[in-house]
Amino acid sequence: MNLLSDIWFQVVRGLRTQFRIKVFIFINLVQPVLWLLFFPQIFKSLADMPGIGGSYLQFLAPGVVVITVLFGSAWSGMGMLHLIDMGILSKMLATPVTRVSIILGGVISSMVVLVMQAVIIFIIAVIMGVDVATGAPGVFLAIFLVILLGLGFAGFSNGLALLFKRAEPLMGTINFVTLPLMLISSIMMPPQLLPGWLDTARQFNPVDYAVVGVRGLVLEGYVWSDLWLSLLILAAWATAGIAFGTFMFRFRAE
Amino acid sequence: MSIIETHQLTKVFPGDVRAVDGIDFEVKAGEVFGFLGPNGAGKTTTIKVLNTLIKPTAGTATVCGYDVVKSPAEVRGCIGYVAQDVGVDEYGTGRENLTLYGHFYRLDGRTIKQRVKELFELVDLTGFEDKMVSTYSGGMRKRLDLAMGLIHRPAVIFLDEPTVGLDPQTRVHIWDYIRDLVKAMGVTIFLTTHYMEEADHLADRIAIIDLGKIMATGTPDELKHSIGGDVVTLSPSTTGEEDREEFMRRTQSALSGKPFVLGTQATDGDLAVYVNKGESAVPSIIRLLSSEGIDIETISMSHPTLDDVFLKYTGRTIRAQEGTRTTYAQIQRKRSRRHQ
Repeated sequence: MNLLSDIWFQVVRGLRTQFRIKVFIFINLVQPVLWLLFFPQIFKSLADMPGIGGSYLQFLAPGVVVITVLFGSAWSGMGMLHLIDMGILSKMLATPVTRVSIILGGVISSMVVLVMQAVIIFIIAVIMGVDVATGAPGVFLAIFLVILLGLGFAGFSNGLALLFKRAEPLMGTINFVTLPLMLISSIMMPPQLLPGWLDTARQFNPVDYAVVGVRGLVLEGYVWSDLWLSLLILAAWATAGIAFGTFMFRFRAE
Repeated sequence: MSIIETHQLTKVFPGDVRAVDGIDFEVKAGEVFGFLGPNGAGKTTTIKVLNTLIKPTAGTATVCGYDVVKSPAEVRGCIGYVAQDVGVDEYGTGRENLTLYGHFYRLDGRTIKQRVKELFELVDLTGFEDKMVSTYSGGMRKRLDLAMGLIHRPAVIFLDEPTVGLDPQTRVHIWDYIRDLVKAMGVTIFLTTHYMEEADHLADRIAIIDLGKIMATGTPDELKHSIGGDVVTLSPSTTGEEDREEFMRRTQSALSGKPFVLGTQATDGDLAVYVNKGESAVPSIIRLLSSEGIDIETISMSHPTLDDVFLKYTGRTIRAQEGTRTTYAQIQRKRSRRHQ
């Protein structure tokens, strides 16, 4: 009981913080819209290539949802770093608050914001003319997939924040990891157009499982063989991230 | 009754840094106990062990009768912690900050509401409850921080360098609030500081800590009396290192064994002479030194301060250490420890 109410208070605190940094809200919403506007222009000539199916916007929209969640959750550890740097974490730890609620609350509150963003991107995409093959239920399932992806990244990011306890190595690692993970996937290019080694490499990339799952729901319908695989891999990824984060919290928080 | 008790408490950080080195002390319920020492002496480490934030390497400590290692949850319930870094959330209002801590201490909503009101009055922040903390001044943040450590009416409150980084005026204000607290709530205060005046002003009893060891314990008056009388400080007219050493050697031998001299202590190029009665000792010292042909630049006499006490027990002045190479190294060590 205490655990649940403590998580609740942490989530409220985390959301309050995120919503009061207004510039973040602005950036987080404008950026995906820019993706949706510009990339279809840049890659216009690709529209008729195999695997894209006539509209690059339609092809890219699921990818933009995944990218937004990927970048958003990967930076989630900065919130933990703020708690450490401001002395808020040690002050909290000297109270009877449930230890693990601090990290879980942080992770969950960043996920809440990301889900809101994902929903907004879907809405904008539909307004721009994207046709979601599975309709609203498919969107729910797609959001569930990206939540799993985000939980994993947020867990690892918070864990690394506790490991490094300073901004520079954390920011470096996030940049070092997220961009390649975005490129080594079928976010921008259909698998058919990727060189062989990349097509192999993307199978070790959790981001790609989210893209394949979400894109399937948008472009094709319920392709259960792909969906189950995505769900399974992403659930494992989320578990690993949360486990890493809580493990680091146990040993590194003071 | 002792509300805090330690036995041979030791904390060794990686790299064999003995931050706290086998300390024993007791704090009685209702008193203000001051830990006085320079930066890096082991004060914050001691607080963190007593707060259950870090585990001791050896020895034991009990707070409110609970062992800090075996029953951390019980200890946390009975203490309040006001850290050196002001741990308030800038993105929240004063009320939000305080209310959150009420929840952490499992108070019900009505109690929290009422205590928030009381505490804002106590720390003189009434009217600022719903303003964002980012608009608070440093002194206001510290007062909010203080209130956050008190919402559950703890038996003990730990104040780690409560006025560090505040301007002198604000410092005096915070001292007033701390004294009001003792009066209003009867709370036991464990305080660390490297300001002599602060320890002198607030603490009922003081422990002098240096390099992880307790060098002396007592009331401020007891400690000052332990020096035995007044302090006469001599500074040589020469400046060279060798000349200074020569001065120290000759002066110390000239003064030794004289009935009015209780002891001497060299420090940063000056010589402190402990005497029974400063007023009569000064002329005697001047006569003696001029007959020995020893030149002095200045001579000054003072009643003992905690600075003199610190000097006597550690061989250094607390002020002289700030900015020296040792202190810098200690700060670095402290920093890297924080980031480990």
